[in-house]
Amino acid sequence: MVFLVRWSRYNPYYLDPEVRKDVYSKTETELTAEEKEQQQLKAIRPIKAATNSVTSSVFDDPVLSKFINMMMKNGNKILAREIMTQTLEEMKRKQVEKYHKAAEGKKEEIECNPYTIFHQALENCKPVVGVISLKKGGRYYQVPTPLSDNRRRFLAMKWLLTECRDNKHRRTQMHEKLSQELMAAYIMEGNAIKKKHEMHKVAEANRAFAHFRWW
Amino acid sequence: MASNVGIEFLEKVSRLLSRQNKKPVLKPNRPLVLKDAVANRKLQKGEASCITEMSVLMACWKQNNFVDGLCTNEINTFYSCVKKAQTAAKNNSAENMGEEGRLHPQHATTLLRRHPNIRTEI
Repeated sequence: MVFLVRWSRYNPYYLDPEVRKDVYSKTETELTAEEKEQQQLKAIRPIKAATNSVTSSVFDDPVLSKFINMMMKNGNKILAREIMTQTLEEMKRKQVEKYHKAAEGKKEEIECNPYTIFHQALENCKPVVGVISLKKGGRYYQVPTPLSDNRRRFLAMKWLLTECRDNKHRRTQMHEKLSQELMAAYIMEGNAIKKKHEMHKVAEANRAFAHFRWW
Repeated sequence: MASNVGIEFLEKVSRLLSRQNKKPVLKPNRPLVLKDAVANRKLQKGEASCITEMSVLMACWKQNNFVDGLCTNEINTFYSCVKKAQTAAKNNSAENMGEEGRLHPQHATTLLRRHPNIRTEI
């Protein structure tokens, strides 16, 4: 009996597992009606197995995990995670160096936590409006549209990674280049931010076609 | 009666196909059997949402040379408008389950699939 593994998936009525601990420490009174419904549903429906990459620890960050997955090549998650930890360490080192060199008044302004820098850099890279190719009257137009949060996050990560992979000297390591790029994005400089601005410019140039959308 | 009407229709079809009187009116290359599905049509063409907010945002961008820090208010209004439009679209598609008068083509297809057309005599 041959069981096909490649295209197999869970039945759609399986629910996603809840990994975060704070959800379970809530008492009865704090739950809203929706959450109570969800809980009742969870008591009845089967639940998917949690993947290896999610943990219930305090340090589990879904955004960071997604970024590591996008950086991963050929399934080499170990290497991707190594690069990410090295990047965060380098960012921390640079910031701590700046902190110790700074004057007394300026010390509080320097952000030392690499995770906040990463999140802020990603936020700075996210575009506000995107362009969609729509066909009207035989011609394709670039129509400006609002984007969903997932799409924006994906574009920001994609731009960061492509910029790091393409525009670097062959001797610079990925973690070095990534840390430089993230620090630059934190201050709103660098090529990833430039890509975002270019996208905005294209949307602005084609704003006349905004009415071509029907949703 | 409905059964009578059905039989009359079948007789008419057989007359159109027969070669006894004149040339047959219908010369079908496929069997004359209805499909178990209905075409999916969206009746109303909707309109683009949040265009005013977007144009305000773009005017702000043009003024400030695409620096995002100076346009935060417009960006926030744009995001709130987008959220509202999304929830409205969700509620709309949930409401359309009511189907005032007409049946939604998807529902019609599922019903027809459950009671398919008889293709063999057995």
